[in-house]
Amino acid sequence: MRSRKTPWLSVALWSLLSFVTLFPIYWMFVISMKAPVELFSTPDILLRSLDWSNYVEVLESPTLRGYMVNSLVISSGNAVLVTALGFLACYALTRYDLPGKESIFFWTITNRMAPPAVFLLPLFLLLTQVYRIGDFSLLDTRIGMILVYCTFNLPFAIWTLRPTLDAIPKELDEAALVDGASAWRVIWDVILPLARPGLAVTLILTWVFAWNEYLLAATLTNFTARTLTTGLSEYVTTTGTAWGIMAAISVFTLIPALIVFSLVQRHIVTGLTFGAVKG
Amino acid sequence: MRLKRTGFGWLLLSPTLLLLGLFGVFPFLYVVWVSFHEWNPFAANPEKVFNWANNYRALVFDRGFLASLGVTLAFVFFAVSSQVILGYLLAQAFMRDFPGKAFFRTIHTLPLIMAPIIVGSVWKLMTTPSIGIIPYLLRNTVGFDLNIGTSALAAFVITVIMDVWHWTPLVTLSLIAALVSLPPDPFEQAQIDGADRWQIFRHITLPMIAPALIATVFIRLMDAMRTVDEVLMLTGGGPGSATRFLGVHIFKEVFPRTNYGYGSAVSVIVLYLTIVVCWLLYVGLIAPRTTRR
Amino acid sequence: MSEERKPGFLPIETNWFDRLFIAVVLWVALSLFWLRFLEPLGLSVWIAAAISVVLGVWIVRRG
Repeated sequence: MRSRKTPWLSVALWSLLSFVTLFPIYWMFVISMKAPVELFSTPDILLRSLDWSNYVEVLESPTLRGYMVNSLVISSGNAVLVTALGFLACYALTRYDLPGKESIFFWTITNRMAPPAVFLLPLFLLLTQVYRIGDFSLLDTRIGMILVYCTFNLPFAIWTLRPTLDAIPKELDEAALVDGASAWRVIWDVILPLARPGLAVTLILTWVFAWNEYLLAATLTNFTARTLTTGLSEYVTTTGTAWGIMAAISVFTLIPALIVFSLVQRHIVTGLTFGAVKG
Repeated sequence: MRLKRTGFGWLLLSPTLLLLGLFGVFPFLYVVWVSFHEWNPFAANPEKVFNWANNYRALVFDRGFLASLGVTLAFVFFAVSSQVILGYLLAQAFMRDFPGKAFFRTIHTLPLIMAPIIVGSVWKLMTTPSIGIIPYLLRNTVGFDLNIGTSALAAFVITVIMDVWHWTPLVTLSLIAALVSLPPDPFEQAQIDGADRWQIFRHITLPMIAPALIATVFIRLMDAMRTVDEVLMLTGGGPGSATRFLGVHIFKEVFPRTNYGYGSAVSVIVLYLTIVVCWLLYVGLIAPRTTRR
Repeated sequence: MSEERKPGFLPIETNWFDRLFIAVVLWVALSLFWLRFLEPLGLSVWIAAAISVVLGVWIVRRG
């Protein structure tokens, strides 16, 4: 075959592709590093100087700092809650002889498939009018957002944990139960240690989904529980010319995703296809 | 003993069922119920009034909604088909041995983890005239004036390109996974029998990668149908209604108006379309596999 | 009950819930079509409902 020449063609093709992938992201860094004056001269591909003022401005804004804290609290809270509950639910669904468990499995995934835009209105109405105790309503609270994000993250957790739990032999639980351990002890001492890698992947991926979410955060929060992604859109609409700030906020939003990317790169495709593809 | 264990299973499942019930099922039932009412808290009569199917009657004649539906379907078609074709070609190109495979693969995965809204912001910085590099290069090399703020076609094409940039890697990587796991024998046999490339693709490769391909296409269909964040960021649905996809329509045109009854009807129909697609996924994909098991 | 499976006219294997679901999906599709194109001609949407119910019963029983 043409084995002498082809590799370099492939390398060229994939280098070009990598350039196409990376250049838009690089361009965002370039814009975030430019002073406003430089931006309106001709676009310049190279970084001539490092100007950190956009980043400083973002970090010094108390509003944006608040948004960052909200984003951190909401996505961490949601990831922990969803991984814990998803683990218990998935354990129940894979081990116990529950009637209609395949239907329950499928039903959970329909929650994930539903477009969030459809849920804007009903969730807004329910949070303002129905789910409230006295004067306390879940609208515009961190706990409210943590619970709302369960709709799409909990099914994801259940589905990504399923292969992990299926892979742990049932004989292990049965042996432990015969030895007189309680059902809780079995989960805590036998299953949990073995499921740890799967749990870590689930925790990280659900965290990043919650961190990345925009639509529900934009409609179900007003001020106190706004997240960084909504802050980004606020900057675009109110001061349409603050490109540098916008790029800097984008970079701040991107950094955690990049960290996550380096941690669980091999699992991303499997996760995004609900285990239909073993990456 | 057995009964007790089942009860414990339900106990483990109950928080999940409760949460999904409160924030998934109940909102769904609630929105269906509201969609049969006239309800605008800021109108002369702020109470809910049952009005049969009047909201749906208005909906099927609503130009804005129908335009949005048409644009969404066009977007889904162009985006998903280019992703599948491009993804397959790239996956095939990846099957040869060449240095740096793992590295290129890693780079290729990168867009998948990015927040949709960041993708929108990245492409806004790339394509906005006066700041973006693409309009600048196009103007200075071929003299084409790209302006996504005024040209409907340009805005639509850029949204498709953005989605292709964002999601082709998912198709590529899942097809790579499928192609890698194929046994070599049928291909060798076909080559001995003198089959040409197209015949090999049509009769051997395609049937064998079909499960992975169908799964990926359906997941992409579902995600493309609910594309909102990146488009809101890039074009805000404009110019006109050129990129006002269903989700954007709800967010920008339906939600801010307080016509809750009508908004619910829009939401229900969007959900209806998604559920139909989702059910087709189940029938075509998951059901046959679980019954075989 | 959901496990009873018999060969029906639908091209796929279904249980009673699947068939009910198909019936509802068809009802919605037909009603929307009716509201758009046939109701302006003076045909009440109840006709669509009646057709859908008959169709639905047939699908659930025989599908």
